[in-house]
Formats: sequence, structure tokens, C-alpha cells
Amino acid sequence: MSTRLPVADAAQIRAALRQDVRSDRRAFAGMLVLNALAALAALVGPAYLGRIVDEVTGAHPSVSVVNHDALIIVVFALAQILVSRWALLIGARFGERTSARIRERMLERALSLPASVVEHTTTGDLVSRGTNDAGMVAATLRDAAPIIFVSAVQVLCIAGAVLVLNPLLGICGVACLVGDVFVLRWYLRRSRPAFLAQSIAGAAITDVMESTASGARTVDALGLEQRRIEAAETAFAASIKAQMHSLRLRLVLFPTVDASYVLPLAAILLIGGALYEHGEVSLGAVVASTLYMRQLAGPLDTVLVWIQTLQNAAVSYARVEGLSAAPQAPVPTGAIPAGDRIEVAGAHFAYNADHGDVLHGVDLVVQPGERLAIVGASGAGKSTLGRLLAGIDHPNQGTVTVDGIPIADLPPERLRRQVVLVTQEHHVFHDTLRGNLKLAKADATDDELLAALGAVDAGWIDALPDGLDTFVAGNGHRLDGAQAQQLALARVVLADPHTVILDEATALLDPATARNTEQALAAVLRGRTVIAIAHRLQTAHDADRVAVMDAGLVTELGTHEELVASEGTYAALWRSWHRD
Amino acid sequence: MADHDAARIADRYADPRPGDLRSPLRFLLWLIAGQKWRVLRASVVGSAWMVGLALPPYLLSEAIDEGLRSRDNGALVGWVLALVAFCVGNAALGGLRHGTMTKIRTYSAYQTGLSTVRHATRLGAALGRKSSSGEVVAIGLGDVQAISTALTVTGPGVGSVVAYVVVAVLLFTISPLLAVVVSAGVPVLALTIGPVLHRTHGAMTPYREQNRALTNRLIDIVTGLRVLSGLGGKQAYLGRYREDSRALVRQGYRVGAATSWTGALGTGLPTLFLAAVTWIAARMAAEGSITVGQLIAVYGYVAMLVAPVSSLIEGAQQLTAATVAARRVIRFLALEPDHSDGEHDLGPDSGVLHDPLSGTEIPPGSFVALVGAESADCTGVLERLARFTASDATWGAVRLDEVALPQIRSRILLAENDATIFAGTIREAVAGRRAALEPDLGHAVTAAVASDIVDALPDGLGSTLDSQARNLSGGQRQRLRLARALYAQPEVLLLVEPASAVDAPTEAAMATRLREARRGLTTVVTTSSPLVLDRADLVLHLVAGRVAASGTHQELWRSNPAYRSVVSRTTATQGQEAAQ
Repeated sequence: MSTRLPVADAAQIRAALRQDVRSDRRAFAGMLVLNALAALAALVGPAYLGRIVDEVTGAHPSVSVVNHDALIIVVFALAQILVSRWALLIGARFGERTSARIRERMLERALSLPASVVEHTTTGDLVSRGTNDAGMVAATLRDAAPIIFVSAVQVLCIAGAVLVLNPLLGICGVACLVGDVFVLRWYLRRSRPAFLAQSIAGAAITDVMESTASGARTVDALGLEQRRIEAAETAFAASIKAQMHSLRLRLVLFPTVDASYVLPLAAILLIGGALYEHGEVSLGAVVASTLYMRQLAGPLDTVLVWIQTLQNAAVSYARVEGLSAAPQAPVPTGAIPAGDRIEVAGAHFAYNADHGDVLHGVDLVVQPGERLAIVGASGAGKSTLGRLLAGIDHPNQGTVTVDGIPIADLPPERLRRQVVLVTQEHHVFHDTLRGNLKLAKADATDDELLAALGAVDAGWIDALPDGLDTFVAGNGHRLDGAQAQQLALARVVLADPHTVILDEATALLDPATARNTEQALAAVLRGRTVIAIAHRLQTAHDADRVAVMDAGLVTELGTHEELVASEGTYAALWRSWHRD
Repeated sequence: MADHDAARIADRYADPRPGDLRSPLRFLLWLIAGQKWRVLRASVVGSAWMVGLALPPYLLSEAIDEGLRSRDNGALVGWVLALVAFCVGNAALGGLRHGTMTKIRTYSAYQTGLSTVRHATRLGAALGRKSSSGEVVAIGLGDVQAISTALTVTGPGVGSVVAYVVVAVLLFTISPLLAVVVSAGVPVLALTIGPVLHRTHGAMTPYREQNRALTNRLIDIVTGLRVLSGLGGKQAYLGRYREDSRALVRQGYRVGAATSWTGALGTGLPTLFLAAVTWIAARMAAEGSITVGQLIAVYGYVAMLVAPVSSLIEGAQQLTAATVAARRVIRFLALEPDHSDGEHDLGPDSGVLHDPLSGTEIPPGSFVALVGAESADCTGVLERLARFTASDATWGAVRLDEVALPQIRSRILLAENDATIFAGTIREAVAGRRAALEPDLGHAVTAAVASDIVDALPDGLGSTLDSQARNLSGGQRQRLRLARALYAQPEVLLLVEPASAVDAPTEAAMATRLREARRGLTTVVTTSSPLVLDRADLVLHLVAGRVAASGTHQELWRSNPAYRSVVSRTTATQGQEAAQ
């Protein structure tokens, strides 16, 4: 039933990345320049220390020259603080703006997904892209990216400085670190799956803790204490195993890279020693080169520590950007129905090609203003037919039309006025009651809102502390399942479509409330076409006609009396339900 | 396999000592005491490694003084080899330290997490009243991490203090003046960074809150996507998200203003300090009171001090966070389960179950249905009979609140409609605390009309369920819950609306088979479905929380209009019309 949303490929990621940098290119250029300036300022220290060394080892060391050079070191250290602060500030702001752009773009795309995609996507997938993935990208842009950027620029500047100071020593020094690139590649190829395994294990722990706590009452009732502790032990053991695996990878990377930093030092000292002996370099140049190579270790380590985060962020970015590759809503043909006669002709439907048809050629005509009930066992295809009638899905074969126009081809705005589907799955937004209702009719007056609530027998509105302004979710006045269902029905009253499809829309209500709500709703919807999918036969009894579904086909169709008289499935069911 | 690992790790980490809940600090000490050898190793290795960082500057200075400057190739090669050997050795030590620290963290996370899960199971039904699953999740997601991370103090933290002292001593051998300047200057430096960090923290708190609110809004919109796509209101919600997103950007700028100072000062102040110390040392070198090699060594020592100082600052922050986290953990662990363990024993044959508040009497071995217009009335009776709330309920001659709770739980099972189904295989879910034995398991599944669920899944009983069995439909979950309750074979089974989410034919089959499976055992169901009521030995009709009428379904249907209206879901007057 559910399909996964796509993930962006490498080309799409690059394009999106270019776009994000381009939309804020001045800040990006500023970051580049300021970071380079800060890194250059940091190079002055070792260079002037080298000059001091030359001065001190010279024939007549002069304290005033030393003072002058040392003052320059201090001044540049101060300059480095100010410039890098500025660079970090620009970087942080760039990160914030870019994260906002990414998350807003992601929501826009989610909201423009066609109903058929929304219906078949697991909410969890979208939620985790919007929260975990977008959050990961934002955190990386905020915390990691500026630091990595600074460090990368520093590494380049230091390497450049060593090369300028003495090309031969510089080349030897830098060449000694080439091996690290291979170790890093070895590591990154393995660290990604290891990291994934670790986060899956972490999520499993959260899940065990959450379900044990939220299900503590069930644990108590069924005596599952030991089972839950075992489940927790298993989850923690899996997590420890995953962590030990990542640890083993890090135990190869960190010590190797750590140890490798000494190689350029050794090379510069030995080669520098030989050159100095022949008078080809000054002692100061050799000292400065070794100090630069030592200085290289800091930013290189930083890049190394954060590169994993960067890799993970790239995967998250691909998932967030993947929404752009989701199927788009079909372009509406522009045909607008004039009448409300619904016709289903030879409709076949399969959720996916491997699983066979759920509907095997349904034929059905619903007259305008008719009240039709659809009954049948679970799996008979009732809800599937409901979704076709609501224009959410296209039939694979055959047609579902209103006034001769395929329902699923209507543009969203028009479809909403034509037909609305209400299911058991309701959602109360973290908003006031007014906000929750107004989404169905943006310009509704308070009187209209109250009338709609009255129409579904929602008397509880009088008990709300702030009436329509009451916050009805989260920390506010939480609505229970039955009230939420009535809210969903009140929205339909406000939307006032030509056709309403109720798929078990009152199943959560108390028997008495359900009855009152259905009757109140019927009064409001008089003249509208109402298609009710129900397992309570009382609903069928009240309808103009009843369609009985079995194994993807409409097997019986007629009024309640006709079907009872015909002695078919419906008649048998009715008698077992109502033995009087 | 994972279970084998779980047993092995549980065995290795098993800690019989109860957690020390007297204060957050004592709780942290308890975690340390449970792994004292590992912590000792971390301290020793951490100190050795950190002190080891001070040696390369010394070796480097010797290589320059003895080898390079004296043009002594033998000495140069010797010192360089010593430098390389030492750095490689210290890198290995660094790996060992990292490994030990990781293990300390996993052990601490394991102990804290499992203590929480164990306590959650001990609290049982009381957890919902005294705490919340959100609290437990907060512990699992944040506090466990904060606590285990803070224990890093035992390795690098101790190491930093030792390294600091060692460097001070080394500097003293070069120049007492430098030793005083450095050892006094570094704490001043750390204290300077303190207020900046505090400011960052201050800006971070509102940012995190705003970010959480924005994330919640996204989850809200995405989970309500079906509603928005069916009824409209997308633009309004997108607009509000954008507004919040922009507000977060402004908060982020505030954070950026603070963190950019932290970042710049964090690396800049040590550099500035380094410049100042270098100045003093360079003057001394120019005056001839120290050698060039010593000048380089001073530079190296001071540069090296950055590591222990920043690790101490970090450690202080982590400890603060861990204290807050540990306080929350011990507050949860200190919650008392509400067992008022009575001294009475239930007899082997316990007689009539009686709830005086409602006037309900359940004869032993009977199949009784409770029906009422307010479903809360009926569930209230079952909660009292199962002693999930305080009551005067009796079983035979014994008051239930005078019997030890485990005795009641093992004989009376309250199976609620929304009971949690934990992640795992179907076999595990149905077996509950008992071992999964055929053919009983198959019988329970058949009796709950759940065979088709098992058959449709690829691995039958071995198929895995998501947490809360989210991969099943509402009706399928309900049948699994019933199978689980039946497999437990309690003497008394109290079922809340066991078939409210299934279609009529399935409901009929469930009622018939339930009665069959419970033959000779006491069973009470709350329901308003005639299909179930018709199969009960005795139906009790509750009005305003009291038993108003009792008899068989047929008797009550014929003689009692109020009953009829509840069951047929019609209002009282229409019920009379139907009867006439």
C-alpha cells in the first residue's frame, strides 16, 4: 500500500547545492575571503618566530628587533580573532538562511504532492525527512560547515605558506601526508553503513523505552515485565555491538592519521638539516617550516572529525531534495462538470502490479442527492472504491466520472468542491478550534463555524474555556477521538461539497452520539450525494440504496427492503445483526 | 545472534547494586564505581597521553639545538628517530584512550537506560499517573547521553590536570618566570572564555525552543497532509510555517553572534597568549638566558596546553549538563509503584466477582456482557474488578485491595482496546509472558479470527510487527490483542470492546469463537454490538454507572426500551416506534 518517496541522485544534489550557494552568493564570497584572511593572519606567528630564531642565533641578537617581531605576532593574533569572528558570524547567518530555505522548500514540495502520492506515502517517511534530515542539514550548516570551511582554508593556506617559504621542504612535508587520503577513503567507505547501523540501533533503544513507558499499563496487565527488560537488553546489546564496530573503524583511522603528522616533521628536519649544512636554507626557515607542519595538525584533525558529519548531511540533503523528484499532480484537462451524476464503469484497481487487483471491474451509478451505503467484509474493496470515488486514485482500467469527466482529473480546488472523503483517520492541528475549522473555508464567519459544529451535534463546544479560540491540541484542551471525528465532519459541512464520502466516519463515536451526529449531518447534507461506507448495518438501513461488496465486486445493489427480500448475503447479515 | 549478545553483555554488565539516588553527583559516582578498573585505566592512559603531547616540543627542540644548529647529523637523526617513535607510540596510546572512553560511555548508557526501563516496568499502570512516556523518552534520548558523555571527565579530564602540572614543572626547569606566567595565565584564559560560553548558552535556549516548536509545526502539517489535501488550507499553514521559520532565522542570528565569539576566542585567545609568552621567551633568548631550542620548546608547550585547557572547559560544561540530566533520572527512579501489598490470599476457587459501586455481580464461569450509553461506565467497572483503580470490589469473600497485586494480575486479566502491542514477531506478541507453545498458540489465533492475518504475512507467526503494530490495520490489531488475551488463559478475562473495529461478519465469528474458547472460565466484555450481546449468558445494562437491568439479550431487547435504544443506536422514542 505504501510507496517510498524518491531520494535525489548525485547530479540533482550538485544542482541543488549550486542553487543554494548562488542564492546567497555574497555571503558565501564573504565567508571565503574572510576565512582566507584569518588563516593568513594565523600564518604570521610561526613566520615571525622563525625570524626571531634567526635574529637570536645571529651574531648580535638585538632585543629591539625581537620586540618588533613579537609585537607583530601579537597584533596578528588579535587580527585573527577579529577577522575569524566576522567570518564565523557571516557563516552562521549563511547557514541559518540556507537551512530556512531548505526546510521551507521541503514543506512547499510536500504540500504540492498529489493526493494519490500523499495517500500512499507513510507519514513517518515525510516526517523524518522534514525533521531528522532537514534538522541534520541545518545543524551541519550551523555547526560543522563554518568550522570545516575555516579548517579547510587554513590547511590550504598553511600548505601554501610552507611551499612559499621553501618549495623543496614544503613539497616533502605535504607529500608525507598523502597516505592519509587513502586511509580516509578506506574509512569513509565503511563508516557510513556503520553510522547508519548505529543510528538504527539508537532508534531501537528509544523505541523500546518509549513503548515500554507508554505501554506500562499493558506491561502491568499482562505481566510482561521480564519480556520488556529482555527487549531493552537486546536493543542495548545491538547498540553496543554497532558502537564497537564503529569504534574499531575509528581505531584504525585516528591513530594512523595521528601518527602520520610526525612524518612531515621528520622529513623537514632531516632534509632541512642537510640543506642547512650546505648553507642552502636558514635555520629560521627550517624551524618555521616545522612549526607550520605542526600547525597543520589542528585543522586537519578538525576536518577529519567533522567529515563524517558532512557525509551524513549529504545523505540527509539527498533525502530532503528527493521530494522534487516525486511524481507531480497531472495537469488538469480543464473540463468542469455541470452535473453531479457519478458513474463507475468497469473499474479495476491494484495498489501495485505484483499484488493483483483489489477491484475487479466495479459498475455503479450514484444519482445526485442519493444516499448510498456500501457494506461488505474487510478486504472487499470498500475503502478502495471510496478513494476512487473521491478522485484520489485513478482506476487502472475503466472509468470513474462525474458528469462524464474523470473525477481524478479535476484540479484540486475544483475537486474539493466536488467531493470530500472523511475517514476514521482524523487529524486535529496544533491550533485553535477556529483555525482547525477555517482550513475548510477560509472566509467563514464565527456564526458559520458554530453552525457547522451544531450540525454534527458537537455540543461540547459550549464547555470549551475560550470557545472557538480554545487551543485544541498539544498542551491545550485536547479533543478526544470522538470529538476529533466530529470536528472532521464539521469541516465537511463548511467545505460543503456536492458529494460526501464517509468511510467509517462515525466509528469512534458512542452509539448514542454516533446516531445523533449521523442524523444531524443528514439534515445538513440534505440534497447532497452521500456515500457511506459502514460496518454498522443501521447506517445501511437508513440509506436510499445499499451496495454490497465482496472480493472487489459489487455483488448486490438495491434498497434495504429489496436486499432483505432477495435472501442474499445482506439479508443473512441483517438477520444476524438484528435478531428480532 | 543478537539475543546471545544480549545475554553476554547483560552478564558482563550485570550490576546487583541499587543505583545511588541520593544526589546527581552520587549517581555519577555510582556509575564510576561500577566500572572502577576501566575508569582507573582511562585516567592512567588519559594522563599518559596528554603528558605525552608535551614531549614532542622537547624532542623537537633537542633535534634543533643538538642536531641542526650544531650541524651534528648523528644527533639529528637520533633525535628525529626518537621523535617519530614517540609520536607513533603516543598515537597508539591515544587510540587506547579513545577505546576505553567509548566503553565507559556505553557502560554508563547501558546502566542508566536499563535502570530506567526496569523501573518503568516496576511502576506499571502507575507510570501514566506519576510520570509520562515523554519523560522516559527524554531520559532515553537526552539524559542517558549527557550522563555518559560527562564521564569522559574521568579520562581526558584527569589527564588534563596532570598534563597541566607536568608542563608547569617542565617550564620551571627552563625559566621560573615563564612557569609562573603560563600556569597563572592559563586559568585566567579559561575564566575569560567562561562568560562567553554562558552567553552562547543563553542564546541557545530560546533558539532550541523555537526550533522544537517549528519542528512540531512541521510534524503537525505533514501528519495532517491528507486533511489539507482533501479540504484545503495549505496556503494558510505554509504561510504560518514560513513566518515561524523566519523567526527562527532571527533567533539563529542571535546565536550566531554569540557562537562566533566563542569560536574566534576559543582558538584566538590561546594564540594571543601564545604570542605574549613567545615575546617574553624571545627576549630571554635574545638576552641569552635561554637557548633557541628552549624558545621553541616553550612555544611548543604553550601551544600544546590548548588541548588540556579546552578539554577542561568542555568537561566542566558536560558535568553541568550531566547534573541536570542525572537529577531528572533519579527523580524518575525514585517514583514509588503504588502496590499496597495486602496480606490476604485468594482462595483456589474464588467465587463471585462483585463491584459494589455499580452493583455488578459476575458469577464464576459465566460469559457476561456490560452495555451502557456511556462507555466509560462499563470500562470503569472492569478497571475496578481488575484493581487498576481503588475500589471496594470483592472476589468471593476477599476484598481485592487486601490481596497482593501480583496474585490478582496472574488470575484476572484486563485486556483493553488500546493496549500496546510491542515490536517483535507475531509469535512473541501473542505469547506474552508465557512460552510460545503449539498447539495453544494456533488455537488462540483461530479463536480470535486472526488466522488470515498470520496467513497473509510472508513469515506467518514469525513475521515482525512494528512498534504498536503500525503495519497492521486497526481491526487486525484488535484481533491480535484478543489472541494474546486468550493465550494468557486467565481465570477471569475482562475485555473492553474487543470487536469494535472489525466488520460485522468477523465480529460475529469472533463472538462465537470467544465464547467457545472461554467455556468454563469467567469472561466479561463491554460492548454495544447485538452480535456479541446475543451470545452472552448474562447482559448487564448500566445507566448512570449502575446496573439498571439484567437478563439475556433477547429478554432485554423485548422488554426494555432504554436498552433497545442503546443497542440499536436509535434515540429512545425511535426505539419505541421500532418496537411497535
